[in-house]
Amino acid sequence: MKILLAEDDFATRKFMANFLSKYGECDVTVDGMEAVDAFMMALEDGEPYDLVCLDIMMPVMDGYQALVGIRNLEKQRNVPEDKAVKVIMTTALNEERNVKMAFELGCTIYSGKPIDQDRFEQALKKLNLI
Amino acid sequence: MAEEFNTESMLDMYLFENTQLLEQLQETVLEQKDADSFDEDSINEIFRTMHTIKGSSGIMMFDNITAVSHKLEDVFYYLRESHPENVPHVELVEHVLEVEDFISSEMEKIRGGDSPDGDASEIIVNLDKFLDKIKNGVVEEGAEPPPENVHTAPTQFYIAPMATSDSHFYKIFITFFPETEMANVHAYRTVYALKEIAEDILYSPEDILTDEKSGEAIIKDGFKILLQAQSTEEEVRELIGVGYDIQKVDVFECKAEEFLRGFDFGDADAPLAKIDLESSVEEIEARVSDAEKEEKKPAKPAIAPGDFVIQSREPGKQKKLAKDKPKGEKAAFISVNVKKMDQLMDLIGELVISESVVLQSSDLKVPGLNLDNFNKAAAQLAKVSTDLQNVIMSMRMVPLTNTFQKMNRIVFDVSRKLGKDIEFVMLGEQTEVDKNIIEHISDPLMHLVRNSVDHGIETNEERKESGKSGKGKVTLAAKTEAGKVWISVEDNGKGLDREKIIAKARKQGLLDDNKPDSAYTDKEVNQFITLPGFSTNEQVTEYSGRGVGMDVVVQNIQAIGGTLEIESEAGLGSIMTLKIPLTLAIIDGIVMEIGTSSFVMETSAIKEFTRVKENMMIHEPNGDEYVMIRDDCFPVLRLGRWYGLEQYEESVEDGVMLILEIDEKKVCLLVDRLVGEQEIVVKPIPSYIKKVKGLSGCTQLGDGSIALILDAPGLIE
Amino acid sequence: MDETSKWKENAEDNDTASSDRDDAQKGKYMTFKSGLEYFGLGIQYVEQIIQFQTITAIPETEDYIKGLINLRGKVIPVVDVRLRFKQPPLEYNDRTCIIVINVRDVTVGLIVEQIAEVVEIKEDNILPPPTIGRGSVQNKYVYGIGRVGDTVKLLLDPDKLLNDEDLSIAEQANEMIIEENER
Repeated sequence: MKILLAEDDFATRKFMANFLSKYGECDVTVDGMEAVDAFMMALEDGEPYDLVCLDIMMPVMDGYQALVGIRNLEKQRNVPEDKAVKVIMTTALNEERNVKMAFELGCTIYSGKPIDQDRFEQALKKLNLI
Repeated sequence: MAEEFNTESMLDMYLFENTQLLEQLQETVLEQKDADSFDEDSINEIFRTMHTIKGSSGIMMFDNITAVSHKLEDVFYYLRESHPENVPHVELVEHVLEVEDFISSEMEKIRGGDSPDGDASEIIVNLDKFLDKIKNGVVEEGAEPPPENVHTAPTQFYIAPMATSDSHFYKIFITFFPETEMANVHAYRTVYALKEIAEDILYSPEDILTDEKSGEAIIKDGFKILLQAQSTEEEVRELIGVGYDIQKVDVFECKAEEFLRGFDFGDADAPLAKIDLESSVEEIEARVSDAEKEEKKPAKPAIAPGDFVIQSREPGKQKKLAKDKPKGEKAAFISVNVKKMDQLMDLIGELVISESVVLQSSDLKVPGLNLDNFNKAAAQLAKVSTDLQNVIMSMRMVPLTNTFQKMNRIVFDVSRKLGKDIEFVMLGEQTEVDKNIIEHISDPLMHLVRNSVDHGIETNEERKESGKSGKGKVTLAAKTEAGKVWISVEDNGKGLDREKIIAKARKQGLLDDNKPDSAYTDKEVNQFITLPGFSTNEQVTEYSGRGVGMDVVVQNIQAIGGTLEIESEAGLGSIMTLKIPLTLAIIDGIVMEIGTSSFVMETSAIKEFTRVKENMMIHEPNGDEYVMIRDDCFPVLRLGRWYGLEQYEESVEDGVMLILEIDEKKVCLLVDRLVGEQEIVVKPIPSYIKKVKGLSGCTQLGDGSIALILDAPGLIE
Repeated sequence: MDETSKWKENAEDNDTASSDRDDAQKGKYMTFKSGLEYFGLGIQYVEQIIQFQTITAIPETEDYIKGLINLRGKVIPVVDVRLRFKQPPLEYNDRTCIIVINVRDVTVGLIVEQIAEVVEIKEDNILPPPTIGRGSVQNKYVYGIGRVGDTVKLLLDPDKLLNDEDLSIAEQANEMIIEENER
């Protein structure tokens, strides 16, 4: 599985990269803009990511903007819904309106931080990613 | 749910909304339990409820709840679409309640931070069987198969963070020695050290590395840190360390909400939330629900993508987000921390006391002073203060409806399990009481209701044998009277058995050897059952235990200053009445003195006061005294003597007689002198002191001294 | 008020990082004199020390519960320590103080003859109390004997001090029921 990670905090980034590499090959970016760029590159190379993991609070472009960017790219290329990349947003924000907005914008899984690793795996299984 | 509430966490909202749905569901089901079948509306409601719960539980990945609500949804889908006849209603009701219980208990687990690991497979299997049964009953030749319920699997999921149970939240306040140079750099060092363990950290002042003036601010006002970490307080302190620069470190553990609220700077940008004081609670609620019905989707979300871009990342500064505070959201409702309400209540009490200190100031007692203007102003002050009290009390009042509804369910459950046919009636459930009270009476009420159902009401056969007509009935009633709220549990069962109780009490040595059984009034006998360890039940039943309940019930009631009265008639039933004072009672009282002690009694309990002459007194040989006043004979209670006070007036001519009347019972109370009438704040006597007969609380008088509040009904006995 | 500020200074000298909560205060005891002995009370229970003030008596309470006092708006019950120890009471004078303690959310004032100082007693200097001793009543509330220099302080368990009572009728009744059912 190809995974893309966007996380601005160094320590968290190391942890997430480590954690995600259990499930597949993990590419790392440090802000929203880089993440969208990386996503586009993979699309154009014909090897799109299966899973994108976005932090919400990031410099230059936040997680929501990156999500919108990614979904727009997919729409442009007419990527069918069942092939659309699964997006996980990870964040310390747990307010209902944050979650609602994420879902509306096309997020697949919203996970509060610190991450409940068991449930994370459970969700990945439900999405048939592992 | 209204927009205003969506700043709650996802998990809280899930629990809140679904708990409400389930409560509503239970009410609906119980209302229809005796009907032949569920009506159209109920079927739709139950279907919708299960559908909603299935959906949201699916998103949260609570698979067992999802599965069980899925099944019940299927059942009600079938009922809705196919309208089968002869559905076994009672069985269906039980299934619904079973599902509801399961989901409720799983949600309790979630609420407590545990994992919802209940096994619903048996319930699901039973539901399957039930569904098959009713389907088979309707099979006709050549009929079309009933439409199948379609479920869409959830495609988006929410995972709650792990933080809630393990993380601690701390408020740290550091004071540096005034001579410390570059305190901001010291502060930065501390923050840096804490970052090692911090899951989240905020500090104030913010710009400590580059702004030199921050050092001054830190010396003057101290350095504040909000920390979220798994470490213990000791570990935190160790990291902060003790240095020559740090004078004092205060570490307070706090709750997540306090942490999230940040530093109390006062949000200059936040809108002024209006507290609606004009409308009544009902009006406000109606307005909000109307608004909810009109608003489908929010026109524009209060947050938007881009709000969370990190603007600055300089070291030593906090992360600043682009997010603005939400603009101009007017709230008809605000949610207020209950602690603040308590503080407000205490302050009101203090206000009343301060008011009387001012009004009774000895400075005013200069003779010849013209106080007309002053009195006018004082009257205005009194009016405003009273209005303020009333509004604040109304803010804390909550109707008993929910509490009573809970009892409904209990009666149903217990009566079914014991095979008794029992009707449950609620009266006055809209009566409002202080929030605090609700929390304390829930358990005692449950116990009393259980007792009635279990021991009070006889089985159907017994009732027939004793010629009792009709079903057993349990009535739960509430009303307010004289500053108290009365809640009664009445049953038409067999009542308390006086003989049995007296016998048991004798055996336990609780009775006076010299007093024959007949000398004890029914009331006294009934009260015996509230003694610890008392139970005349030979067997322990699952529902009301071994009589370890009644004394605990009474304790709980007394803890909020209330009393439990028991009335019973053999063969006809019993009435248990809880009488609870409204928490912050501010009452009009008459202050009186006996010797050097001050007492206060509610003005409304005193009918009259008068001086009497010795020749109006009647002295019985056994020591009882009576007084004749205008052809009426009253028993006399010499308070000083009765309480064993050190000083008091012996002669009735030197004292004052107060005629008390409650429920047509009269008594004359002899005190030394009356001091005056004033508004007093009722404060409970500290729980450490056991209840004294005739005393219901205490208060502070204008001069700071404490007066004990006399309880007329207690004295009349 | 002298007592209070003296005590506060004392306590603050002993630690730079003062906090009202428990663990940091372990090992420190507020000591006072009653009769011929000195007693110690863990400082984590002590809220404040105030001068003796007028007490409003409450009728029909135990003899050691002297009544209520008004502490800046809060109404607090006060207990006479000597009477609690079933010793004959002493007259109150200007050295009499009230130690306000808080145990498990219950606030009570203890009337003591004379306040002493805050001492630190290490665990190894605490011995278990004698099983037989003068005043067996005291022994219920004393959980240890702390050595300070060449003096000893009897360490009190505030919970027991406030709450332990002689077996009441109710408890006797309870015991009888249990016995009965075992037959």
